[in-house]
Amino acid sequence: MKHSFILPRKKTPLTKELQLVLTFFGVTLFMLLLTYSFLLYKDYSFAEDKAQARIAKADLSANISVMKEKIRYIEQQNMFSETIFTKNSVLKDSIANLFDLVPQRITLSEASLLKNGLILYGITPNKDVYNFMLQAPLRSIFHRSYSSFYPAKNGWLRFVSTNYVDEEEEELNSED
Amino acid sequence: MKINISRQNIYLLVLSIVLLIFVLLFSFLTLIPEGKEYRIQRTELNKETLELKQLENFSAQTLERLQKLQSDNRHIISAFDASFNPERFEKQHRSFFNTLELAKKVQLENEDEFCVYEVNTTSQINSPKSFYDFLSAVNKSDWIIGINFPINFKRDAEMIRSSFTMKVYNNPKDSSGNKPLMK
Repeated sequence: MKHSFILPRKKTPLTKELQLVLTFFGVTLFMLLLTYSFLLYKDYSFAEDKAQARIAKADLSANISVMKEKIRYIEQQNMFSETIFTKNSVLKDSIANLFDLVPQRITLSEASLLKNGLILYGITPNKDVYNFMLQAPLRSIFHRSYSSFYPAKNGWLRFVSTNYVDEEEEELNSED
Repeated sequence: MKINISRQNIYLLVLSIVLLIFVLLFSFLTLIPEGKEYRIQRTELNKETLELKQLENFSAQTLERLQKLQSDNRHIISAFDASFNPERFEKQHRSFFNTLELAKKVQLENEDEFCVYEVNTTSQINSPKSFYDFLSAVNKSDWIIGINFPINFKRDAEMIRSSFTMKVYNNPKDSSGNKPLMK
């Protein structure tokens, strides 16, 4: 026996309203979770990049320190060698000046160049030639000059001239 | 007036409110702090990257300067590295002297981080000019050599017998006898 001409519609807990609400919140939650995942991934990626950048910075700093040390050492080598080369050049000029200082009438037999002095051995026709032509310029260069003479076989005089620079006075002069 | 709300709608409303609260809580307690953290991390990374870039530029400049110094001072660097070889020295500088004899080298105390060896030299020359030429040539030799006092010149018939001391400067060696790699 039938009481209705239509079939009863099936009842379901997922009504249209509920589906709408669930869809809305589902989409919302999906987007929120997607954003959150993106942020988490980026944070991780930034942390990784930062760590790599720090390692690279440390490596570079160490490398720069090594290069700076090499530069310092080369500059020191350069300065030191320049000093040595200059000393050699000055020495060359000093020896040239010394031999230019000796007049033709005086003949040297030996010359000793010391750090703070000069010892000359030689032969001179007489004391006057020595005093005026060699002793005078030597006295103008050195602080202390001593000369001694003894006769040679040919009537000339052998001489020993010892000349010193006082280093303390030299330092004072350079300071002035 | 009576508001007739079905039980189903009440469930729906409650569910909506619960979900809305969850969304709000999730946003304010998790998402926004994480976003702030993201911005901080990004700023820090930018800062680090900028510093790295500056350091890379500085490193490139330093390397360029080092390479220029190395190429400009190639002779000096190799001269400090070369250990003194008396035979080679005699061969190179014999032309300035009639005879040239070198005594055995003696190690002295270090000067300005450099090892110093002393070599006594005796020689015979025709004229002082040979000695001047030698002093000019020694600055271009394979070693860093300083001519040192005392220097003696003594007439010996038609020749001049000269004796002088040379100081040869080398890079210091480490305890194992090897040259330090860094330098």
